[in-house]
Amino acid sequence: MQTTALALAVLGAALLLGGLLSGLDRRLTARLQSRQGPPFTQPFFDVIKLLAKERMVTNPWQAFSPLATLSAAACALLLFAWQGDLLVILFVHMAGGVFLVLGAMASPSPYSQIAGQRELWQMLCCETLLFVMAGALYLTTGSFRVSGAAALGEPLLYRLPLLFAAFLLALTVKMRKSPFDLAGCHHAHQELVRGVFTEYVGPHLGLLEIAHWLEVVLYLAICSLFWATGPWGMILLPLTAFLAVIVLDNVSARLTWRWMLGWGWGAAFVLSAVNLFWLKG
Amino acid sequence: MAGTILPFGPQHPVLPEPLHLNLQIEDEIVVSATPAFGYVHRGLEKLADIRDFRQMIQVVERVCGICSMIHALTYCQGLEELMGIEPTPRARFLRVIWSELHRLHSHLLWLGLFADAMGFESLFMQLWKVRERIMDINEATAGNRVILSVNVIGGVRRDLDSGQTAWILSELAEVEKGFSAMSRTILHDYTVQKRTRGKGALSRSQAMELGCVGPMLRASGVSQDMRLLGYAAYGELEFAPVVEQDGDCYARCRVRFAELGQSIGLIRQAIAKLPAGDTSVPVKGRPPAGEVVARAEQPRGECLYYIKANGGKFLDRLRIRTPTFANIPALTVMLPGIELADVPVVLLSIDPCISCTER
Amino acid sequence: MVFMIPVVLKNLFGRCATRPYPQSPRQLFAGSRGQLINDAGKCILCGTCARSCPSQCLTVSRKEGLWQYEPFACVFCGVCVEACPAGSLSQLGQWRPAVRERERVVLKVEVKSEKSGVRSEA
Repeated sequence: MQTTALALAVLGAALLLGGLLSGLDRRLTARLQSRQGPPFTQPFFDVIKLLAKERMVTNPWQAFSPLATLSAAACALLLFAWQGDLLVILFVHMAGGVFLVLGAMASPSPYSQIAGQRELWQMLCCETLLFVMAGALYLTTGSFRVSGAAALGEPLLYRLPLLFAAFLLALTVKMRKSPFDLAGCHHAHQELVRGVFTEYVGPHLGLLEIAHWLEVVLYLAICSLFWATGPWGMILLPLTAFLAVIVLDNVSARLTWRWMLGWGWGAAFVLSAVNLFWLKG
Repeated sequence: MAGTILPFGPQHPVLPEPLHLNLQIEDEIVVSATPAFGYVHRGLEKLADIRDFRQMIQVVERVCGICSMIHALTYCQGLEELMGIEPTPRARFLRVIWSELHRLHSHLLWLGLFADAMGFESLFMQLWKVRERIMDINEATAGNRVILSVNVIGGVRRDLDSGQTAWILSELAEVEKGFSAMSRTILHDYTVQKRTRGKGALSRSQAMELGCVGPMLRASGVSQDMRLLGYAAYGELEFAPVVEQDGDCYARCRVRFAELGQSIGLIRQAIAKLPAGDTSVPVKGRPPAGEVVARAEQPRGECLYYIKANGGKFLDRLRIRTPTFANIPALTVMLPGIELADVPVVLLSIDPCISCTER
Repeated sequence: MVFMIPVVLKNLFGRCATRPYPQSPRQLFAGSRGQLINDAGKCILCGTCARSCPSQCLTVSRKEGLWQYEPFACVFCGVCVEACPAGSLSQLGQWRPAVRERERVVLKVEVKSEKSGVRSEA
């Protein structure tokens, strides 16, 4: 009973944090572009409005997939809060991503189908980097558990600086920001309209939005592992990474998935590999 | 994915206007592209039957908002030639000033939309912020932001006093500072280069064969600019067409960016040489009769008006050949073979304006 | 990428270019072509405005003494204002406010005898 209450509290806090981060993102992006921007609470109003709208689906998968994605993101977050195994967290989170692609592929629309394929490429890039990171965590702390990073005694960043750079790439992809807003960006202004989200409307889109908040919170939580020696490091490092991604979004054009797969992922992989060898040697 | 057909438009967030492209795609590479038109055809040429030749000035301004001033200018110059009217020197210089202001705001608008097409939103916002000063100049001097409505047969409807010209010059200095701050991003940024270099390249002979005009043609190495004809006061001002050799999206971007500075230079020259006198000559006598072809350089290229009049209030025939229409055939050559992600960039590089394509 | 960083940072700490419209509306410049109004006291119902109007949004009926104007058809070109021989037409320095219903301006003009203006919307 107590565990359930605690889990709900964690999820509630994550929702609040995710929504506020989204609000901060929109406000800061607007200011960087010389605009005024919406209030910080705007994302909550947007999601409430979406949830209150009429349900419309072209097939049952579109109704089921957002629920699966949201549950997977919530589970992964709870596993993290209970300081679980990073590998398990990543697998659970990845399952949610698969359902997002399934939902997009379920509709005959070419926009969401092509975006579904791009999303798979993105997952290939992101998840491999995260698994390498989990491996590095094991090599450094001798455990796949999240708690290992805190027990290390010194910031993980000192041991894994290049891996952190590679992680920033994964964070940019996950936050759907330029140069990697390929499979669906925040403002439906690209060649695939809104990518994987194109065919969703109303409450289903609202659920996906909430799932996106939770995923961003999860990624920032993983980011905090790089400086897990105290609360300040655990807050400041993810916040800096978050702000850096927003600035990057505003100083670069969107690149293509072929570039991401060739140069982006290639560079990140080389960085990770060099870091691992340096760690062993 | 083999053989997907992607409907690009008529309603698509990347396109400001309703153009329909059927893109046949294999593995995100465009195999063929078929453009379709007719979503905003308004029959403006046919309106010449029921609007008299003076009212048609306001009608042709609405062929295209972004080139409105130059549409009216071309039309009025055609009628002036038919009626044997010579506009006053001051009117000719004022026409150059407003024409170049139009070119400036059109090119800034295009650069912004081009940045947006490659997902560079902050550059888009920044360029439109700079553009807002031009819109202010338009409103303060002509009365409207976009559709200036300053041309009449025999001259212009508004005048600039010395205070206004001084203010225009100081505002233009700010505009120049604004877009110069962007120059390194537009011309040398890695991501921008990655998205524009080598995309949709047209050789010199291809561009000529496909009938491209304006910046499209100049980017492929052809030095063609209708302003060299010396209409209005262009004959008394010094400038040389901006020409690039590569013919790709990046070259088109360079041409249009360099033309921003060129336009500012032309406005400065025109203001410095602005002669005193009346802004228009009174038009008396019979309505026009005969045939005439008028040409002018719009931000998007050569615009051609054919006017046939019979001495009555209404024109016999008005035919407008817009530069955007001339640039569309190039799309069918440029689009096949490129990545889907590059379609918006290549599409925007011709500066499409569907309302003036279809009139 | 690096070239854009100073620009966005300057934006972040500078004033924003947008304003919270409609709470703080933008002031038009002097000489802007705003709302078209007719001074019924000066109007002589000659119909020059209606004949010159490119969008044909004006109708003048001498018999009924009515000057009618369709603001939604008007393109605010100002041709009628310049054509008016009596100087009764003018354009205000502000735009027409947004409305929910289609409006039509009907002005009762009495030429020669006592003049009065009535504006009704239908």
